[in-house]
Amino acid sequence: MKSKFARKRTESDEMSLQITSMADIFTILLVFLLKSYAASAMTVTPSAGMSLPQAFGQDSAIDALKVEISEKSVNVEGQSVATLEGYRFNQSDIQANGTSQSLSKALDRERQRQVLIAKANSDVKVDPRIIVISDRHVPYSTVKSVLASAALNGYTDFKLAVVKGE
Amino acid sequence: MSFSSSSNQDFELNLAPIIDCLTVLITFMLASATFLSIGILDAGVAAGGSAAATEQAPPPVNLTIELGHDKNFVLKVTGKENRVIPIAQTTKGVPAGTAANYDYETLLQQLAQVEAKWPTVKAITLSADNSVEYEDVVRAMDSIRKTIPVVLLGGF
Repeated sequence: MKSKFARKRTESDEMSLQITSMADIFTILLVFLLKSYAASAMTVTPSAGMSLPQAFGQDSAIDALKVEISEKSVNVEGQSVATLEGYRFNQSDIQANGTSQSLSKALDRERQRQVLIAKANSDVKVDPRIIVISDRHVPYSTVKSVLASAALNGYTDFKLAVVKGE
Repeated sequence: MSFSSSSNQDFELNLAPIIDCLTVLITFMLASATFLSIGILDAGVAAGGSAAATEQAPPPVNLTIELGHDKNFVLKVTGKENRVIPIAQTTKGVPAGTAANYDYETLLQQLAQVEAKWPTVKAITLSADNSVEYEDVVRAMDSIRKTIPVVLLGGF
């Protein structure tokens, strides 16, 4: 009898945290985050310091070649291919038809790669889409040069990345 | 004997390390998650890029909008009707002391009139002065899309 009382006393003194319910909450949170993470794997992620314009756009669930125009450079698939000075191309880089020489070279390389893949695999088609991720302060002359360079290399379907608003 | 067997059956999973793992994973995912919702604005297909576009019957009129560096629009109608409609900058709705802005309201009114006259026209070409900022171009595209669904970027 005595020992029974003693055991009861120790049980009531031990306050244990209900970890099972906490684990449930964490699991649900993790599943939710993983789901949203997987859905956004193909989306556009602008670089740090970029400020995209706001507009009422469609979903960004497309996968295409990404060209990013920031204050100091133009990046193709995350790699810097042309330098800018105050959002503008160097005049020496601009050709007579308004295209950028260095950007055209990089886009041509990407195009050749796509063509090679399409030749090897009949299921893959050469994609004319290009996603332009541009800072809101970029002048239209720079955007024009980028679009002209893209069109010259077969990327004729322009998609503009914007921050969804309103 | 019976006591030892009951203690063996009273098995409890140690959840503390699992909670640790979940916490680290959730923190990592929250840190890497992007809460900015990015959308895609369709700027159409450049001239000669689409075979389907050339197969369609040409529209009766071609519409072009030019954005000027001094915040004015020029709406050009060419084809069966030739008209140039300048739309000056506005100070309406702009806070006092700040620069004038593009007059989107008048532009949409003019576009609605043109669209009512030529309902088969579903595309417009948008061009801008070299110094116009990309933000203004996108804002104009977004506004025009409310009246005319296809807005193509031009001028290059």
